[in-house]
Amino acid sequence: MSVRELDLKQEPPCTSGLGNYLWSDPPDEKKWADCVHCGMCLESCPTYEQTGQEQHSPRGRVHLIKSVAEGKLQVNEQFMDPVFQCLDCRACTTACPADVDVGGLIEEARGQIRQAMPLTGVKGAISKFFLHDLFPHQNRLNTLGGLLKFYQKSGMQKAVRKTKLINIMPKHLVDMESIMPEVKEPVKKKYQDVKVIKAKGETKQEVAMLTGCVMDVMFSDINESTINVLTRNGNDVVIPQSQTCCGALHVHAGDRDMGRKLAKQNMEAFKDFDKVIVNAAGCGCMMKEYAELFKEDPELHAKAEEFSEKVEDISKFLHDTGYEKPKAEMNTRITYHDACHLAHGQGIRQQPRDILLDIPGVDMVHMPNSDRCCGSAGIYNITNPEMANAVLESKMENVPDDVEMISMGNPGCMLQMAMGVQKYGRNQKIVHTVQLLDWAYQKEDGVKEGKE
Amino acid sequence: MRTKDRIKSQDKHILNLAEIVGGTRSILYQKEDLVAYDCDGFTIHKHLPKAVVFPKNTQEVAEIVKYCSENNLPFLARGAGTGLSGGAIPLNGEIIISMVRMKKLISVDLENRRAVVEPGFVNLKLTNSISDKGYYYAPDPSSQYCCTIGGNVAENAGGAHCLKYGVTTNHILGLEVVMPNGEIVEIGKDGIPDAPGYDLLGLITGSEGTLGIVTKITVRVLKNPEGKQTVLAYFDRVEDGSQAVSDIISAGIVPAALEMMDKTAIEGVEAAAFPVGHPKDIEAVLLIEVDGIAAGIEEQIDQILEVCRKRNVREVRAAGSEEERARWWANRKTGFGAMGAISPDYLVQDGVIPRSKLPDVLSRINQISSESGLRIANIFHAGDGNLHPLVLFDARIPGESEKALEAGSQCLKVCADVGGTITGEHGVGIEKREEMRFVFTEEEIAAQTDIREVFNPHNLLNAGKLFPSPGRCAEVKKEMKAQAIS
Repeated sequence: MSVRELDLKQEPPCTSGLGNYLWSDPPDEKKWADCVHCGMCLESCPTYEQTGQEQHSPRGRVHLIKSVAEGKLQVNEQFMDPVFQCLDCRACTTACPADVDVGGLIEEARGQIRQAMPLTGVKGAISKFFLHDLFPHQNRLNTLGGLLKFYQKSGMQKAVRKTKLINIMPKHLVDMESIMPEVKEPVKKKYQDVKVIKAKGETKQEVAMLTGCVMDVMFSDINESTINVLTRNGNDVVIPQSQTCCGALHVHAGDRDMGRKLAKQNMEAFKDFDKVIVNAAGCGCMMKEYAELFKEDPELHAKAEEFSEKVEDISKFLHDTGYEKPKAEMNTRITYHDACHLAHGQGIRQQPRDILLDIPGVDMVHMPNSDRCCGSAGIYNITNPEMANAVLESKMENVPDDVEMISMGNPGCMLQMAMGVQKYGRNQKIVHTVQLLDWAYQKEDGVKEGKE
Repeated sequence: MRTKDRIKSQDKHILNLAEIVGGTRSILYQKEDLVAYDCDGFTIHKHLPKAVVFPKNTQEVAEIVKYCSENNLPFLARGAGTGLSGGAIPLNGEIIISMVRMKKLISVDLENRRAVVEPGFVNLKLTNSISDKGYYYAPDPSSQYCCTIGGNVAENAGGAHCLKYGVTTNHILGLEVVMPNGEIVEIGKDGIPDAPGYDLLGLITGSEGTLGIVTKITVRVLKNPEGKQTVLAYFDRVEDGSQAVSDIISAGIVPAALEMMDKTAIEGVEAAAFPVGHPKDIEAVLLIEVDGIAAGIEEQIDQILEVCRKRNVREVRAAGSEEERARWWANRKTGFGAMGAISPDYLVQDGVIPRSKLPDVLSRINQISSESGLRIANIFHAGDGNLHPLVLFDARIPGESEKALEAGSQCLKVCADVGGTITGEHGVGIEKREEMRFVFTEEEIAAQTDIREVFNPHNLLNAGKLFPSPGRCAEVKKEMKAQAIS
């Protein structure tokens, strides 16, 4: 982050700002009015745990964000550090006695920072590549997926690792390369000509499904499992082809304009459906908060609120609408990791656990601090590798020794936890909750078990 | 984490202090970072520190203190910054010595029922670390989820369960302290506190960081009570609730905790993150917890239910499950922060009164509320008469902070007038300096500052806290207070 301030300052437009926030859509005063600086959030915060520093705590960040509005601080590099060091894990929102929406404030502040100081140089180029040129474009992601597949299948992966060519990459990217899941065919592409994937047996209702950008390339088998589980329980599944990336990564990075663009596209793509099923906690949480992006546009705000009502995580949907309990014994010891954007973001804690416990032979071992962030936090582990690793290390200390699998409901966590398993010499398999349910169904049907 | 950064300061003190603590990660000196340290849980006064340093061990603390003392730099220690009287606010642009990285649990000796912790160790973590073996640490301030034991020692923190078990000072067996000249001393060696001579442990505990900086603490831990049960009681009249409190104690029951919240407080906790569904139209809710040998608990609960019924309780019941009990307590323990849900700012007061004066004091507080035009919520440890009037205000409205301070001060005056005192567990800090005059004469205050001078002769350590500045007339003080606010 060593870009000189002079390079960064852009002329602010003459729109409504607040104190030293000069752009539109500033942090919402009402959000910090609830904070009385009691400090109950401190211990919930992973970055405070690591640094012990107030400016890296929820209360400290709120205090700084408020100080800019009061004109005491400027939007500058020094202010950027605590705001971007936040994992946006929302654990503080759970801990807060007054329900202060720290995550929302952080995202709004990031929006201001990115407008005041657009990223330039290498960092800007990388960010632009990922956020603008890659994630919103499914065909490009698929191409990248194809390349990865080629990389894995052609023997190139082996060669790169063997020749130590891999050592030219930064350490944290090497770690990531080593746990990259095997790339399969994306679900959205696979079903592009199928209008409705029919329920097995009688149809109870029709649902639409978000396939996600990274999810569908890296974890298309989880999407496949989601479809299986939905259709098995009487749901017709539609995959609208005009859907796009949910925009969470953009909003986390302060690119709220792009976030708005993607939100509008998704609201349009899913407008004809009553339920939008999501199997990635981060995406679900974002889509439930679209209204936050349209605070200054009452019409879209109302539309977004209506849309968000329809968005539901797969585990909650199954739990609420009922599902067939599998009969095959899975005979495995597992533990469950609460993805931040499920537990803190959407209040979904018990439903996935109930589903897992309904699978015969699943022995669930409690993970202490199971709702502590793993450090993935979208692409935080790429942008802030040092902190992400420290957070991961403390997460891994809590993973019980004697379990075979760690189940969770978010692809970002899955990659990060897989990295943790590899890095700390553990041997757990990382699974998505619906995968385990799907495998149990398949075993029951005498089909060869999932990935095994 | 900015590893590659260099110290971007020309200030020789910053550079020298950075040298002591070992680099950029252990010192803050730029304005954007320092703003986060301009206040603690008491937000009316704010002042920027000169720097914040993060020592890792006693040796570093001693070196920092020695450096400050030799260079005439004011300094103070800070824990989690959850204090409610402003004890960690750098009024004089202090060097803040943050103790949060000294957060180890050094040893646990269950045979002798004691544990040794570093000052940055979080209160609740101690109980969590020994609960599986059947032990716990008794003092439980509401902020126990995040406050540090070092801070608890400085403020002599209390909590809901201090009615039966006593406050922090009753649980401290030994301290390692860095004196204001940098010397390291140990008081109560090996956890044997009753050394002959003056009770120095008692003197340091609750000295609000003005006599020395605690760097190691030996605490007493207790065996978990065999059983515990909590009763919830709703009253239509505060008088009935207060009377029930007195009756319970007179009946010879010593509850582990006996808490009360009034109507405005109930509105706050119910609007916040941990509502339990208290009716909105009741005037008082009581939470009564008994613990001890399992056999006796049921009998005590029956007695309590009976007492409450005699006092016209609307509804009274014991917790049906551990989960319900935990929910009631989470609702109560997050009470202060919950006020954020109904007011942008609050000022919490901390008076102590004889239990019998409760109805009288509450009606006088109500009067203060209507006269000032500010709402006042009451959350209090009714069992030991420790009152927490929470004055609700909006700092953005000009003049309202001053009004809140004035109303808070009047509440304390009432407490002092009925034979009570101005603080039970939050400390004097900045907030109640002037109110010390309600309970002490000039001479008595001077006697105490004389003691401070023995330890802290140049008054570089946490100056301007705990005592009013001597001999100024009341008008000047008022003006100064107003200036400090603006």
